[in-house]
Amino acid sequence: MTEVDITLTVNGATRTGSPEPRKTLADFLRDDLGLTGTHLGCEHGVCGACTVIVDGRAVRSCLMLAVQAAGSEVTTIEGLALDGRLGTLQQAMWDSHSFQCGFCTPGMVMQAAAFLTDHPDADEQQIREALSGNICRCTGYQSIIDGVLLAAERTRGR
Amino acid sequence: MKLPPVDYEAPETVSEAVELLAEHEDLASVLAGGQSLIPLLALRLARPAVLIDINGIDELSGVSAADGWLAIGAMTREYVAEESAIVADAVPLLAAALPLIGHEAIRSRGTVGGSLAHADPAAELPAVARALDAELVVSGPSGERVVPAAEWFEGYLTTSREPDELLTEVRFPAAGPGTGVSFQEVARRHGDFAMVGLATSVTLSDGVISDARMAFAGASDVPARATAAEELLAGERPLAELFDEAARRAIADIDPPSDLHGSAEYRKKVAAALVRRGLREAVDNARERQ
Amino acid sequence: MTAIAAERYTGASIKRSEDPRILTGAGRYVDDIKLPGMLHAAFVRSPMAHGRVLSVDVSAARELPGVVAVYTGADLEAMTVPGPDALMALMGWQGPTPEFTLLATDKVRLAGDPVAVVIAESRYLAEDGCELVAVEYADLPPVTNASFALDPASPPVFANLGDNIAKPRSRNEFGDVTATFDGADRVYDVHIDVHRHQNVPMEGRGCVASYDTDSGALTVYAATQSVHVTKIAAAMRLGMEQDKVRVLAGDIGGSFGLKIGASREELAVAAASRDLGRPVKWVEDRGENLTVSGQAREESFDVRAAVSSGGDLLGLDVKMIIDTGAYPGMGAMVPSIVEAMFPGPYKMAALGFESTAAITNKATYVAYRGPWASETFVRERVIDLIAKDLGLDPFEIRLRNVAPRTDPPAVMITGRPLAGVTTRESLERIAKLVDFPSFRRRQAEARAQGRYLGIGVATFIEAAPGPREPGGPSGPMGMESMRLRLEEDGIVALFTGQMPHGQSHQTTLAQIAADEFGVPFEQVRVVVGDTDVVPFGLTGGSRSATMTGGVALHGARQLKAKVLDIASHLMEASAQDLEITDGQVFVRGDPASAIPVGDVARRAASGDFGAEVDASLEVIATFDGGEGGWSGGSHCAIVEVDAETGIVTVERYVVAEDCGALINPAVVEGQIRGGVAQGIGAVLLERSAYDEDGNCQSATFMDYLVPTACDVPRIEIEHLETVPLDADVNFRGVGEGGMIVAPPTLVNAIEDALSPFGVRIYEQHLPPSRILELIAATGPGR
Repeated sequence: MTEVDITLTVNGATRTGSPEPRKTLADFLRDDLGLTGTHLGCEHGVCGACTVIVDGRAVRSCLMLAVQAAGSEVTTIEGLALDGRLGTLQQAMWDSHSFQCGFCTPGMVMQAAAFLTDHPDADEQQIREALSGNICRCTGYQSIIDGVLLAAERTRGR
Repeated sequence: MKLPPVDYEAPETVSEAVELLAEHEDLASVLAGGQSLIPLLALRLARPAVLIDINGIDELSGVSAADGWLAIGAMTREYVAEESAIVADAVPLLAAALPLIGHEAIRSRGTVGGSLAHADPAAELPAVARALDAELVVSGPSGERVVPAAEWFEGYLTTSREPDELLTEVRFPAAGPGTGVSFQEVARRHGDFAMVGLATSVTLSDGVISDARMAFAGASDVPARATAAEELLAGERPLAELFDEAARRAIADIDPPSDLHGSAEYRKKVAAALVRRGLREAVDNARERQ
Repeated sequence: MTAIAAERYTGASIKRSEDPRILTGAGRYVDDIKLPGMLHAAFVRSPMAHGRVLSVDVSAARELPGVVAVYTGADLEAMTVPGPDALMALMGWQGPTPEFTLLATDKVRLAGDPVAVVIAESRYLAEDGCELVAVEYADLPPVTNASFALDPASPPVFANLGDNIAKPRSRNEFGDVTATFDGADRVYDVHIDVHRHQNVPMEGRGCVASYDTDSGALTVYAATQSVHVTKIAAAMRLGMEQDKVRVLAGDIGGSFGLKIGASREELAVAAASRDLGRPVKWVEDRGENLTVSGQAREESFDVRAAVSSGGDLLGLDVKMIIDTGAYPGMGAMVPSIVEAMFPGPYKMAALGFESTAAITNKATYVAYRGPWASETFVRERVIDLIAKDLGLDPFEIRLRNVAPRTDPPAVMITGRPLAGVTTRESLERIAKLVDFPSFRRRQAEARAQGRYLGIGVATFIEAAPGPREPGGPSGPMGMESMRLRLEEDGIVALFTGQMPHGQSHQTTLAQIAADEFGVPFEQVRVVVGDTDVVPFGLTGGSRSATMTGGVALHGARQLKAKVLDIASHLMEASAQDLEITDGQVFVRGDPASAIPVGDVARRAASGDFGAEVDASLEVIATFDGGEGGWSGGSHCAIVEVDAETGIVTVERYVVAEDCGALINPAVVEGQIRGGVAQGIGAVLLERSAYDEDGNCQSATFMDYLVPTACDVPRIEIEHLETVPLDADVNFRGVGEGGMIVAPPTLVNAIEDALSPFGVRIYEQHLPPSRILELIAATGPGR
């Protein structure tokens, strides 16, 4: 099993690596690139904690091999607010007390961000369905939904 | 829960992929969307010697409709099919089923062909393919072969694809006028695999059922066509009592599994309810489309 | 209600200081830690529930490139000091004490029992190495349920015990049980089961252990509810001096009771680090978390209830059996808490309580959010069953039986005074928030259309921390201490043994201290997670709002007094004439006199004041809970049950709660909603399942189902006016309440929905298939 050289764009920067083919994108981001914001909650594609955006789509990075991301544009939670300021969604979630322990947060935020980009006028039920593949054990979800609704409202208000 | 050691190939054409499959046969797993295969590897339940990653074969993606058929390349992402106006227009049953597959992130990577090649009997697309008598196109060393859905699904996670063949395309017959559809599903949570699901397509002509097709997900080790119920419905006017009898016949023919989520007895009861609900919804839709 | 100096922050939903890092991926959890030379551990685990280990051959694993070491159970025994479970020892357990080795040596006692550990350059390689370890086992008959465990014929899971009894049968009586039952108009006799389910934090257990060979010091980066308890556990097992062990914790991805002390795996990893002189990381994966980290709540109850024909609950006689799994955890201690809490907020003349705990070949029973919660489930179920039988409505029977609030307070038959309990008010508030008569009309209309709606109510109290007991501090775990210091840059630093893992302490404690001391919120820093700098503490038991909130308030007051004393020398004014507001000390009425508190600290540090003045701007404060108090409330759920599929939808969920004075309403509401969500999970989705051979069947998230955003409705919460008991500290804990009372609320509602079928429910787990079984069992033709 030989390593494969890959080049990809992560959070706007060109990154390279030589992962084994069996290494997941999640582990590559965390271990090889030091981007530990993406979390491992189950490693079998159910909990959504590992969600990142690849070529414009939210994906579970534990269900992609790193080698499959060669040539792709990947955005992780660290890339959502590159200039040091929180993005609209992050700010709205802060204002809404969306989170508690924070472990589900990066995946939840990335999934919500991807969804809002495509569905800026989604209603509560649509947001719940869109986030139903991201498990949170602390909040009961209401505060997260409120944060997403607030972000959507603020984006519309601009 | 880390993947075991495995070799990796990334062919760029179908013929390269077929060559690799011919070389490795059962020791190879085809990596399409990865949403079913990678968890199996992570759990170390699957131990292929080599992964043949077909994500780089551009010719395998695409949706087109012609001559009363919808052709979908095997690597077409589920979300692409879900968003496709062509799919919605030509095969509404497929359009009804696609949003029920897992969650958005799964559909970002999962493929139509991958789901059919994996052949999980609880999945939505196998039931749709079986209900509509879809055709599956495979490429092997000796060329192409078209397999009707009735012959494709052989057993639990088992298809009639030979080890040296690659599924390249699936074709669905386009829905005719007066056809209404329904995809019913009972799952533990939104986005979970169905405990029981039912793909239903009903065509009405002059208020009479001229065609009825129903296939269950989760009721067997393969998608299960409710042939006896379909025969009962053909030529009849849609009525509640008829649907009740169709439900009774449909469940008489199935032997569902028992597992943590439901017993066989439970699945039969739900299957009956889904037949009634599925037929009602499909008939209502058919009336709208007339 | 709380005599805090200012109320600029306390009581407001101040934004959390934890969030900027959480929202940007800058949190630091155990698996994010990377140290130079760090290795990774993976465990070889038993495939069977009960067996003898005949041989362990690690030679092939040791040869694998990238594998640095492999340790068997025997190796680790030679490297560690045998002893009892540290947490059990700390809690003073006196009962049966099983003897076992750190990793399995001669026998395995549950599927997944660790037998060897592989240390390698990566987790991938460590797992590869595990596959090369060859273990020979001989099957033993598995003990998979409590009733077999209690049968003397069952093979002892622990040789030194000779039987499978974790806690011998005992019985206590409070009041005159015999006379109460003899005098009852009706006696009900029911059996109620609560099923096995578990914590499932999004982050599993794990640590990085780093032993420095030169200094002989061990540093453990842990995910834990108490860095000090982990330190004690590690030092004990490794035979090290306490001051050679340091435990650090950063962000922790939830716990709900799971991560206390140190697991056998973490201790093995620490021993490995010492042997190798390199850091070793172990983070459990989800499979390990679901199968071996620990499970809870598998308890069964035989309950007799003595009742008057008018619906007075005169007394209860309870027999409890708890399945504590294989290795010892706190399960054997749960019955005594259940017993103490069983009367709840009700007046009751007598309670008989008998209990025993059984050892089985399943995961260890661990604390899970309200470990005693079954008392509320059983009691609130029994009350509803009685109400149905007598034709009373659920409010009527509860209001009839709630102990009146008197002064001095009514005392539970088990001894705790019900000071400040607002059960009556919470039930009445629910009746205002939910229009029951209108619901009953809608329910009847729905039934006519073949739809089954139901409504359920339940009420609870929890000792958060509990009322003051004569002669002692409130609640378990005793006194709380905190070190507070004014730094030279003007920061008020709070050093606390609390170890937040979602509780938002870094925000809430800062709110209190900022208000009491007089600095802006941003000028308070809450320091947690380092045994070198924080006092002993533990986050759990719904006690931190009172205990830590209280010690923060009193400590800030004491620190302020010290600072004003120094300032009085600086400013040539008497301390009584000085104030601190917005981080400035000034003479009252003379704003121009203001100087920043940091200046006071710098002057104090410079030693200007001479020996007579205590210039150390640090206090060690302690707090015994003051008057303490109860938290509690009433919940109401409206559900719809699809009688063809068994799917239950929670349409509406309403909470009327009393957790005393609120520090941060958003934090309180988040805790309640999270607890209710876990209650919904317990009833509708979650079960830790085993087959008859003791194999865990719920080993992935496809089989152990936790609630998602589509399963938990909006939860309406009303906060009640609380009854203040203490002059200063009336914050009470709220962490566990939601999870305690949500299950009976939901089951009561489901039973109400299914009442046309005559269904009666004596269990907590109601997945769709079970709902259909319950309907079918009532007979055809319904």
